[in-house]
Amino acid sequence: MSMPRRVVITGAGIVSPLGNDLLSFQRNLLSGNSGIDHLNADFCEQLETRIAAQCQFNGEQYFTRQELALLDRVSQFALYATEQAVKQSGLDLLSVNPASIGCFIGTGMGGASATEGGYTRLFKEGMNRLKPFTVLMAMNSAAASQIATKYGVAGPNITISTACSSAAVAIGEAAKQIAFGRCELAIAGGSEALLTFGTIKAWEALRTLAQEDPQDPATSCKPFSANRSGLVLGEGAATFVLETYEHAVQRGATILAEIAGYGSSNDFSHMTQPSVQGQALSMQNALRDANLRADQIGYINAHGTGTQLNDITETRAIKQVFGSSAIRIPVSSTKSMHGHLMGAAAAVELVASLVALHTNTLPPTMHLDAPDPECDLNYVANTAQEVTSLEYVMSNSFAFGGTSGVLILRKI
Amino acid sequence: MNNTFEVVSKLIANKLEIDQQSITRQSKLIELGLDSLDIFDIIFQAEDQYGIKVPNPSEEVVTVDDVVKMLDELLAAGASA
Repeated sequence: MSMPRRVVITGAGIVSPLGNDLLSFQRNLLSGNSGIDHLNADFCEQLETRIAAQCQFNGEQYFTRQELALLDRVSQFALYATEQAVKQSGLDLLSVNPASIGCFIGTGMGGASATEGGYTRLFKEGMNRLKPFTVLMAMNSAAASQIATKYGVAGPNITISTACSSAAVAIGEAAKQIAFGRCELAIAGGSEALLTFGTIKAWEALRTLAQEDPQDPATSCKPFSANRSGLVLGEGAATFVLETYEHAVQRGATILAEIAGYGSSNDFSHMTQPSVQGQALSMQNALRDANLRADQIGYINAHGTGTQLNDITETRAIKQVFGSSAIRIPVSSTKSMHGHLMGAAAAVELVASLVALHTNTLPPTMHLDAPDPECDLNYVANTAQEVTSLEYVMSNSFAFGGTSGVLILRKI
Repeated sequence: MNNTFEVVSKLIANKLEIDQQSITRQSKLIELGLDSLDIFDIIFQAEDQYGIKVPNPSEEVVTVDDVVKMLDELLAAGASA
């Protein structure tokens, strides 16, 4: 087997509760601004939890009515993020051999609004037939296929759905497909638009959602804090253009970072309770893939959901993997600001990691005044932290169901 | 003024965000900018509006008039959904 090829990121795009372009996202992320607020929806009266991290995104600004007839919100996010990413990459994808391009998109719920709209029509409104595009809008692969159709992708077009780690696995698998020659370029990332009545109700039932902070709803997600009460659901997308290092250099592209390592593993111990061993294994796999020692990592973007179990388990897993270095490696959970974007979480958090690499500034964990005594690492509490240099950053993503995905970026 | 033509041309104009007056009976659906899925959607919306069911919506329709005639025949036959 030939040596795997190096894979780099040359474009990134984002739709998020912290803004719908890279600069807004960066500014809000490093300023500690929260995108969490009262949910703006007509079904709020029926919810126990009325906070969420919503995107200020109106599809009518970006798509024609004709296009929108086929696009669930999840595909709108994915397409607009990809438009930004492709533009930044400088590539004219329609002039590239279509068979050399792949598309790898993570999503947890796919077209949740279309699914729910269909059920509402059938079961609530008593209509006996569905809109003709329900399948095309609702299917989990809709976002990936919309991107692939628009940009002329004839290589592998693969949707990954591993709950909260979907985007990490999608990006990691995309990098491996390029590394081993299955394609030369890829659009990879994640998209999620699950703030529907039924989906929120399902999450409520699981009893993992944060209580609204009585003083300020924006501060309701409090990872690693003693008074954390759970996660806050969010929506959005981030996608990237990936290509080989050689290809990027040859065409004189600006390289944003190298995907230096990817580790995936399955935490089989329980459907929802994470284990230290399970989380540690995926970090170890990523380090081995990148051929790095643990102490070479300069920053960890934590999974950091704000649930009781995750934050303690992740802290312990980091200690297990990083040993004596754990205490000096800054770890932060940006979910404190953008919420938990589920199938898109890892993609948005990879953008946060790119921001850290490019600005030598670590995004903070907000709303962390009194840490849980069992969470005793440097969580970059409440204020972004400047560092003199940063070469490698790690982004952790774990998931209900067990699939973990850890990515390591290297500054080029 | 044929009411069915009015309804169909309005649906098309609304989808394509174009002036309804620019649509004639002889306008070809593809040339107006509709693809096969869009045509499917137009027929679906007309079905909803009239409470009828087009038995075979994949039947070849080329012009606006083809859609209008197809709907008129069903309406005349008293077809219902």
